[in-house]
Amino acid sequence: MNVKLLNPFIEATYEIIKLEAGYEMQRGQLDLENDPYLTDDLTVIISLVGAVEGNVMYSMSTQTALVLVTRMMGQSMGVMDPMVQSGIAELGNVMAGRAGIKLAQRGYETNISPPTLLVGKGAAIYTLDISRVVVPLFSNDIALKIHLALRTSTRRDTGALDLEGPSVPRQP
Amino acid sequence: MNVKFLNPFTEAVQMVLEAECGLSVQRGPLTMQKSSMTGEEVTVLINIVGQVEGTVLYGMSVKTALNLVSRVMGQEFLVFDDLARSGVAELGNVISGQATIKLSQSGYESQISPPTMIEGKDVEISTLDFQRIDVPMTTEAGDIIVHLGIREGHAAV
Repeated sequence: MNVKLLNPFIEATYEIIKLEAGYEMQRGQLDLENDPYLTDDLTVIISLVGAVEGNVMYSMSTQTALVLVTRMMGQSMGVMDPMVQSGIAELGNVMAGRAGIKLAQRGYETNISPPTLLVGKGAAIYTLDISRVVVPLFSNDIALKIHLALRTSTRRDTGALDLEGPSVPRQP
Repeated sequence: MNVKFLNPFTEAVQMVLEAECGLSVQRGPLTMQKSSMTGEEVTVLINIVGQVEGTVLYGMSVKTALNLVSRVMGQEFLVFDDLARSGVAELGNVISGQATIKLSQSGYESQISPPTMIEGKDVEISTLDFQRIDVPMTTEAGDIIVHLGIREGHAAV
């Protein structure tokens, strides 16, 4: 995966969390992962289509989610509930959107999908033939990871016409 | 969610499973869901962007997944390995692609994302404020539940 595609996401996360929650995130070591991602307490999945395609996932513990949403809403959230989930999904949406703008500024026009939320540890997520780079970010009492499974697109704009069938021929 | 977005997907499932797996598919009663869903053993997640937006999820048991892939590839799969995984994801990809063609014919241009596989029963999957319609599709090879959390969108793709 092209490293050029990573920075917009790291920058966007840093900027948005600083703006919304007042934390300055630090970056840990990047890792390329081929094994499936085993979910943390909360995972936001957002897809990209366009000049860059694939998925970005933001994962964190319940603890981090509660701290972040408490900071963002300005009121104490003590329990994982639909409001917290919605807040984290929205955070993911804003971060990915910001990254999308940065990608566009660098010449990669993309659109992001609405977010999907996974709640619960231990599910295995496979990004299949798109390898995944994991960026750990942390600050004080919060920690989260950005999982990036992205590639520059080989599709034309009208993706609906670009159907790929299974590549293995079937026995007649 | 408008029913006009639903049929392209259920028709695509029927069309693709017949063509690729030689299966006839029956559509069961659809239900509208507001809350999150629990994952099935295997779930293919594909996002849609454009004049239709949201998420489609195809859920099934590992057994059904293996049956389907075995039929597509013309060889028996006994273990749900990466090749099997890739085959199931591709089915989801082709089905969703066909659905976007039908949507396009109705005037709704959209693009699908690459597929993601989620494996793990009991994980909670939420499409948040996208109301979901669940449609069970039954076949001789097993059942697939199509979860549709999609609505009219505004992005130009």
